[in-house]
Amino acid sequence: MEPAEVEFLAEKELVTIVPNFSLDRIHLIGGDLGPFNPGLPVEVPVWLAINLKQRQKCRLIPPEWMDVGKLEEIRDQERKEDTFTPMPSPYYMELTKLLLNYASDNIPRADEIRTLVKDTWDTRMAKLRLSADSFVRQQEVHAKLDNLTLMEINTTGTFLTQALDHMYKLRTNLQPGESSHSQDF
Amino acid sequence: MFVSDCRREFYELIVTQRVLLLVASDVDALCACKILQALFQCDHVQYTLVPVAGWQELETAFLEHKDQFKYFVLINCGANVDLLEILQPEEDTLFFVCDSHRPINVVNVYNDTQVKLLVKQDDDLDVPAYDDIFRDEEDEEEESEDESDGSEPSEKRRRFEEEVIERTMKRRERREWEARRREILFDYEQYEYHGTSSAMVMFDLAWIMSKDLNDMLWWAIVGLTDQWVQDKITQMKYVTDIGILQRHVSRHNHRNEDEENSLSIDCMRIAFEYDLRLALYQHWSLYESLCNTSYTSASLKLWSVQGQKRLQEFLADMGLPLKQVKQKFNSMDMSLKENLREMIEESANKFGMKDLRVQTFSIHFGFKNKFSASDIVYATTSLMENIEKEGPETTNFIKALDSLSRGNLDKLHQGLDLAKKQLRAIQQTVASCICTNLVISQGPFLYCSLMEGTPDVKLFSKPVSLCLLSKYLLKSFVCSTKNKRCKLLPLVMAAPMDVEQGTVIMVGIPPETESSDKKNFFGRAFEKAAESTNSRTLHNHFEMSMVPFGSLSWKLRMGPSEIILALPKFMVLQFWCILDSLNWSRQENQEKMGQPKNNLRVQEHNGIQVADKVLKLALYVNILKCQQ
Repeated sequence: MEPAEVEFLAEKELVTIVPNFSLDRIHLIGGDLGPFNPGLPVEVPVWLAINLKQRQKCRLIPPEWMDVGKLEEIRDQERKEDTFTPMPSPYYMELTKLLLNYASDNIPRADEIRTLVKDTWDTRMAKLRLSADSFVRQQEVHAKLDNLTLMEINTTGTFLTQALDHMYKLRTNLQPGESSHSQDF
Repeated sequence: MFVSDCRREFYELIVTQRVLLLVASDVDALCACKILQALFQCDHVQYTLVPVAGWQELETAFLEHKDQFKYFVLINCGANVDLLEILQPEEDTLFFVCDSHRPINVVNVYNDTQVKLLVKQDDDLDVPAYDDIFRDEEDEEEESEDESDGSEPSEKRRRFEEEVIERTMKRRERREWEARRREILFDYEQYEYHGTSSAMVMFDLAWIMSKDLNDMLWWAIVGLTDQWVQDKITQMKYVTDIGILQRHVSRHNHRNEDEENSLSIDCMRIAFEYDLRLALYQHWSLYESLCNTSYTSASLKLWSVQGQKRLQEFLADMGLPLKQVKQKFNSMDMSLKENLREMIEESANKFGMKDLRVQTFSIHFGFKNKFSASDIVYATTSLMENIEKEGPETTNFIKALDSLSRGNLDKLHQGLDLAKKQLRAIQQTVASCICTNLVISQGPFLYCSLMEGTPDVKLFSKPVSLCLLSKYLLKSFVCSTKNKRCKLLPLVMAAPMDVEQGTVIMVGIPPETESSDKKNFFGRAFEKAAESTNSRTLHNHFEMSMVPFGSLSWKLRMGPSEIILALPKFMVLQFWCILDSLNWSRQENQEKMGQPKNNLRVQEHNGIQVADKVLKLALYVNILKCQQ
């Protein structure tokens, strides 16, 4: 999967906005949205929120977990544990990037939030690399990792599986197989 | 007709339509265009953008697009001419004109249906009353010529006599009215000047609709600063407009003071500053900036050796070591930079430069990027008038337009480099003109002509650059000359425009006075002179468009307040003839505290007066020398 595809999936998450226009309920295939009334918060998917924000038709309210105190706790927790801790949202990285790019004026202390999320991401990626490394070394057959988000899986997924395929091919060629005949001239 | 409610009578009409934007080539127009484009993008309005550099292009663009569009928005062009007559539009075409040129043509003011003016009413407009100018065509043939039968001859005669008397009375009245009308119109149209910046008008519109952003505010600031840099508005108007913008700036940017909730560093902030008047000093070295800003260079007379010494004294007075001052401003010692503004102001006062500081704004985003409004103006102007041709005609315009967005910093830096080159070229040309006495004072005006071989002369084939050069030249000349009379003369400047076509571009600048009202009378003078020249050589009716004459052609462009004229070389001679022979008289205007005001009473003489012949011969010889 491309990172862009993962971001596309992440844009379906709901976020709260405060619109400055009014519109009746709109019926889309994925569900209903609205009604929109100026000054009243409403939940919409992120793709619509970003579009409205770019057209200056709304104000974004950051999700509850996007707060300096909470993120500090999450980061410290992540650093303590050896395994992965649960994340506030399965798309925390994409949401942070989108909201901070387009709506940083609606999010207080945006720079610190960006740093904290990046720290957490780095810690998790380090753990993932360690885990993959030990998996390959010990030639395990089966591994179980909890609390990974799609974006993190996606970064190593393709590479890991292809690498394991290669390893398998190399290994099978090392062992003298019964069915491997060499050709006589 | 003036639009009183911008939102209802302008924006809501065009928001559902396809619109053609015709934008003039100056920074104020670019900024207004950016603001309008941002509003259009929010509301998904379909529009086409056509940059126009003069009336020729305006007409061509209109003819090309008139079948597809009913709504035209003209930015910084079109208010001071009779639009309907020039463009001959259909009945249902609607023009919205947002222009800072004044005076507004009376036809545009009093047309109710097709021309809407987006102009603030509190600008001092002084439009003449309707009845003084327009009058219904009265049927003068009302008097019945029919023979009524059954009336006695004596009665008929009496009636006839009465009718004759009535008719002559009416005719006399009409003649008087027409004479008064001509006088009123002449007074109204003799001076050209500028009103509120179009970018500020557009920002007002956005604010009324509550769609104003910090970005748009910044563009409004740049538009106003452009008017100030090019000397188009008076100091008082500039300060008033800065006050208006300052309120908006505080409204948008008050969060920066709050430590707890301050915005991300990437967000754009605008700050009010009482900054130095030195051009581009934060992107250059302080020394270069002092040498290349017209104010300091003219006051210190930097073209002479004594001037250079004075500059050294000035720097020494402030305690700035030469080595520090000559390196990039950002690398100067922090201890020197801290109190720089106050130090410079103190020393400048000692050296006779009282206005070294000016109220302006600066923008700040990211960790590296800090620009002052005048920096952006210089950069955008030089991008727009870049002589290196890359691609079709409009690329420079589009590049300049793009450089105003925050995402295109590379274009902005390119613009800054070009601006530095341009300022250096201007100062060198000014220095050489003054040292070699190229500024001739003959008769009622100062005259200077740039020869083709002058270095960087190609840079001055564009109108705005040439205007800047002329203004700086006039300022420097006024500081350098000892002749009291010369200090109050206007300047006419000529430079080669296109070497292949052999055209010359001319600019007229009003005289330098302490409290000038920035009104330019050259418009009428040039028109009149060009008309006469035309009638003597080309026998063509005067049209504001290209008139081909063999392989040479000439065109008149009424751009900004300075009137720009492009002539073939051989016609320059005759042009000067006529310009000179127009009788100029100066009247002391007692109301304006004894400031001399140049009034133009156009009375063509049928020949050159004998007494002036000698002087004029000298002038012609000079011109001929320059033309070779």
